[in-house]
Amino acid sequence: MSDPTSEFFAGISQQRQVLPRGLTGVVRCDLRDGERTEHWYVTIGKGDVTASREGAAADCVLTADKATFDAIAGGEMNAVAALLRGALSAQGEIILLTALQRLFPAPSDAQDRPVAGYARRTS
Amino acid sequence: MSADVKILDGNTFVVSDDRGDIEASLTDPTGLFSFDTRFLSKWILTIDGQRLNPLSIDDLQYFETRFFLVPGTGTVYIDAKLSVIRQRAVSDGFHEDLTILNHAETAVDLTVRVEAACDFADLFEVKDALKKQGAYYARVDDGHLTLGYERETYVRETWISATEACTVDEDSLTFAVHVEPHEQWSTELHVAIGRDARGPASGLTAGGRRATAARPSMELSLQKWLDDAPELDCDWDPLKRTYRRSLVDLAALRFSPVMLPGHYLPAAGLPWFMTMFGRDSIFTSLQALPFNSDLARTTLTALGLWQGTRRDDFRDEDPGRILHELRFGEMTAFEERPHSPYYGSVDATPLYVVLLDEYERWTGDATLVRALEGQARAALAWIDDYADLQGNGYIAYQRRNEKTGLENQCWKDSWDSISYRDGRLPGFPRATCELQGYAYDAKMRGARLARLVWKDPAFAERLEKEAAGLKRRFNRDFWVEDGEYFALAVEPDGSKVDALASNNGHLLWSGIVDKSKAKAVARHLMSPAMFSGWGVRTLAEGEGRYNPIGYHVGTIWPYDNSFIAWGLRRYGFKEEAARIAAGILDAAEFFDGRLPEAFGGYERELTKYPVQYPTSCSPQAWSTGAPLLLLRTMLGLEPTGEHLLVDPALPSGVGRLELLDIPGRWGRMDAFGRGRVDVQKRSGRKTPGPAAPRKKS
Repeated sequence: MSDPTSEFFAGISQQRQVLPRGLTGVVRCDLRDGERTEHWYVTIGKGDVTASREGAAADCVLTADKATFDAIAGGEMNAVAALLRGALSAQGEIILLTALQRLFPAPSDAQDRPVAGYARRTS
Repeated sequence: MSADVKILDGNTFVVSDDRGDIEASLTDPTGLFSFDTRFLSKWILTIDGQRLNPLSIDDLQYFETRFFLVPGTGTVYIDAKLSVIRQRAVSDGFHEDLTILNHAETAVDLTVRVEAACDFADLFEVKDALKKQGAYYARVDDGHLTLGYERETYVRETWISATEACTVDEDSLTFAVHVEPHEQWSTELHVAIGRDARGPASGLTAGGRRATAARPSMELSLQKWLDDAPELDCDWDPLKRTYRRSLVDLAALRFSPVMLPGHYLPAAGLPWFMTMFGRDSIFTSLQALPFNSDLARTTLTALGLWQGTRRDDFRDEDPGRILHELRFGEMTAFEERPHSPYYGSVDATPLYVVLLDEYERWTGDATLVRALEGQARAALAWIDDYADLQGNGYIAYQRRNEKTGLENQCWKDSWDSISYRDGRLPGFPRATCELQGYAYDAKMRGARLARLVWKDPAFAERLEKEAAGLKRRFNRDFWVEDGEYFALAVEPDGSKVDALASNNGHLLWSGIVDKSKAKAVARHLMSPAMFSGWGVRTLAEGEGRYNPIGYHVGTIWPYDNSFIAWGLRRYGFKEEAARIAAGILDAAEFFDGRLPEAFGGYERELTKYPVQYPTSCSPQAWSTGAPLLLLRTMLGLEPTGEHLLVDPALPSGVGRLELLDIPGRWGRMDAFGRGRVDVQKRSGRKTPGPAAPRKKS
């Protein structure tokens, strides 16, 4: 069975180029799945980001149902809207969440390129 | 009753009538609002079942007001034996001191009642009169009244309490009050707001379950803001008033993004636009830079954090794109509106780079420029990789979200703003002219930062080469030969959308205009068809769609004019810039120093006073910033290396003008000037030319 959350965290370290420089901290994601809660620690370094299942003190804690986070990690749900809706909640340094939301994938139905095509003149 | 008493703090604000009461209908923007949601739609004070009458209102501060009231609903006050004072301050909800004074010789027993209700409307629903989908509840516990709204996981609540004993039911607080002769009674009412009763506040919309009190720090904060700003002194008193009004309004419009607590950026305007807007926040920060650079720093940081990273058609998001608008209400939360955030603006992205460079030129803050290098590079890449929708090297726009996205993504965003002379509207994608100017400027300024701060001369060279190519092509492809000005836009087939519009002034500001063409452009801007005597019209008189009270097709926008004046100065047309400054600042006097978003394009000699365009947004940030930018252009303030150049060209009516303690990389500097430009001179057919050099003191 596919697990969009695991896949998202596994690929997260490839995404360093989009993070603002100078932003550092740890976001702990507490994902509720029935009786158990899955923890992920996302460490945002100097333009660098890694994820693991183990960690220590977090600067920001994000709480959600696993199913909700799966939908976000799979590009089916928008994280910011989910946060406004209360489907996600966060405490601590919200600025780190702003950084994390940048890493979630695009919706799968988005067009790759502008409608009218694309060309670049060099002179 | 008029509903026009507004107080605010960040994006929390109260709009009430002149008694302090709130009786909102769904379509009516009165109430207590926070984070785009109404938290109180009814708030009515009665004494023995009677409404009160206003005697006077004291606007103490932008966040605080005081209502003096007497009982009775008639128009004649017959020796009122009671008076009532409501003093209200906004802060995470509001706080109201209610005082009743008994002027009689005998004691009185009164029933004082405050009725409360809330519809929890999203601002978008108030604008569009839409119906709610969730459920309401009200609860009384422990002397508090809780009003709530719930839709799935979305919960918003309002908590109402008082310091004096009262009977609380689900729609009111009732006090049994006894007041001795010549004595008074008072209570404090607290209205607190929040997103969830079941846990502490979380996420993007702050607000916790706590009784709030007006923060004494707000008054200090305003005083500090005013103290930190340069001091203006001049012979023309209205300008001093306008300057102070601008500073206070700008303070009122400050908005602290939740992810950057304690830092402020300018929100766009009250009441509809108390949120982060890419375009408005950038333009206002640019206008304010000589007076305050914190707004620019926070704007750059916040917009950088929210910069687009992926393709999302619903939000019109692309990698590198700067957001248009961020909202927090229910419709955004349920993705019925795309503002989480929405990216459908095509100018904010190049303007982001422009602001970053201008910020560095004033402050010398290379640290921020280094921290935002990735954002600036992504913004520059967006111009080439995602904005070239016509495939001809020009920035153009066409929304991908056809249901709830914005059709016009430039500042003139009304449906009829972009037209041919004969009134025809072009198709999409639309490449409006000012966008090309911004792109040119972004590349030139990006090149400067690349060389100076990012130490990447190869990138700088590439950007300069691209900018030069763009400028060459633009001056060929947009130039209307028979009119000698730049077309408003071009179509994909190369057709020039040939109406004459104020966008030409923004082109001067950007620097994309060939020197040989600048004189003709300046002449047009100051011609009777464009310059009304108060300012430059958005669209020239005589064009097919010209209408002196058409939103973007004939009205005069103070913000637009401030950038036009800057553009004229950039090309050496000092006297023309002074004439615009004089016109707009004269107009400001008619509005008590608070310039509206727009006013009518009628000839000044015809109406004698500027006719306000009917709009609900006031104060509005970039109108508030216009006098600041006009002060800059009149004084000719220009940071050059570690110094501030001053080259005044002031309207003669201003007399002596001093701007003291201008902050920047030089520390603090003073600028002095004396009004010598005769702005009464008929502007008509006069050929503009560089003014005679004026010596600064």
